Amino acid sequence: MCNMHVLEGERVTRYFGGLAAVSNVDFYVDRGEIVGLIGPNGAGKTTLFNLISAAITLKSGVIRFKGEKISGLRPCRICKKGIARTFQSVKVFPGMSVLENVLLGSLFGAPAKLSRADARAEASSLLEFAGLSEMKTVPAGDLTLASQKRLEVARALATRPELLLLDELMAGLNPTEIAGAMELISKIRDRGVTVFMVEHVMRAMMCICGRIIVLHHGEKIAEGTPQEIAASKTVIDVYLGEQVYAGNQ
Amino acid sequence: MIMKIVDVLICGLLLGGIYALIAVGLSLQYGVARVLNISHGELIMLGAFGTWSLYTFFDINPLISLVICGPVLFLAGFALHKTLFKSLLKSSGSIGAFEGSSLLACFGLLFIIQNIAITSWGADIKGYSYLSVPVNLGGAIFAANRLVTLAFAVGIGITFYLFLARTRLGKAIRAAAQDPAAAGLMGVNINHVLALCFGFGALMAGFAGVLLSMCYPVKATMGLEYTIIAIIVVVLGGLGSIPGSFIGGFILGIIGSIVSYIEPSLSLAAYYIIFILLLLVKPTGIMGK
Repeated sequence: MCNMHVLEGERVTRYFGGLAAVSNVDFYVDRGEIVGLIGPNGAGKTTLFNLISAAITLKSGVIRFKGEKISGLRPCRICKKGIARTFQSVKVFPGMSVLENVLLGSLFGAPAKLSRADARAEASSLLEFAGLSEMKTVPAGDLTLASQKRLEVARALATRPELLLLDELMAGLNPTEIAGAMELISKIRDRGVTVFMVEHVMRAMMCICGRIIVLHHGEKIAEGTPQEIAASKTVIDVYLGEQVYAGNQ
Repeated sequence: MIMKIVDVLICGLLLGGIYALIAVGLSLQYGVARVLNISHGELIMLGAFGTWSLYTFFDINPLISLVICGPVLFLAGFALHKTLFKSLLKSSGSIGAFEGSSLLACFGLLFIIQNIAITSWGADIKGYSYLSVPVNLGGAIFAANRLVTLAFAVGIGITFYLFLARTRLGKAIRAAAQDPAAAGLMGVNINHVLALCFGFGALMAGFAGVLLSMCYPVKATMGLEYTIIAIIVVVLGGLGSIPGSFIGGFILGIIGSIVSYIEPSLSLAAYYIIFILLLLVKPTGIMGK
């Protein structure tokens, strides 16, 4: 029981037309970990997240959550089982207030049905956690990008997940906001939620991830501690070199 | 002269209430469930014929028919989505393809429902008289049934607005309207919510049909005109906005009433001119974003 992975994928494969977006990827995430998923654009990172959350259907391979097969379930079932996510391009409900966005997560995503009062209390405390309590009544579409991303985190946490998939939480944020996002992720882990994250901001990944998985052209090319990844020749060739260069511009 | 203007304006408001109700229904079906329901008017016709039959054969008060025809049409709409539209959604590769195929399916439904209505009720005009006593409204005389109709239309609209704003299911419907994929990933059972929305759309059509039958004659081919009006009001008010549907409904009702005062046969043409102007000037509608 103790050494069972929270999330585990075996030979996960998904083609788009003739293109293997994700090909034969084995991966696992253990309870309490922060695992990073990196790779160049088009490597299949978001596709892998979409497959886990069933935003797109898995055609070949298997994904298990707490030992139970979840591939083939509908997105709402997977959310109720305890996997929540945020989106690379934010998907808040723009016409609903910040509070309502989070309420939706607690009212529909939580494994057990909550009373309205409990849901409301939980949503308020999550907004405080995400630093958004002053904007409760603002329509979500009016928030800044950084705040919308925090709102997505609060909404995802409202579904009481055991595993949170963060898809480029830091993309498009300025250095101060990135520091804030990193702090938020550590706080999420401290709440006992396991984190699996896609990110391009390498410095941040090196700091907070316990383990990093590298995808390239849909295949897993490396996996290890941040130090091992930083030192891996394969990874430097396909990814990090380019990233360091881009960072120095 | 001033009396006449007030008369025409009130007449427009009375008409507008029904238009709004019809548009709220279509707005739910198209704005949330993504089905441009060309057979929406046929559901209105079923509500109207249902009420006429209940009144004529069983002597049932039309206002009681609201709670009979409404729920029956709700269930029919819900079942229709769970079977026909759900499988179309599954077999369509994209939401665009689904909109196309569901539109064609609705054309089929239009003819099927209309033909069934003609065979069962005949092709001639039916009507009954209920609450047709005259009421004096600031000098202008109106039939009581038209005032009751407006009151019910506004009441139903406000109730549904509060339902969307306040309840758990209402939140899910609004979330599904704004981003169905994200709503699904937050635990909302999207297929179920879409079917409910289609059902609620049919419910609104049923209510509108019941109310219409109290003031206007009923016939098997009456549906298309109302479908067209619903589409125009939805575009006028902004897709998915209930206040927008009411504003649009009242505007169209008043314009219709003014045009009919001058030349009754031109009202539908006037609606179309407004529709085309609107598409050119503000395609998102009055309350649209």
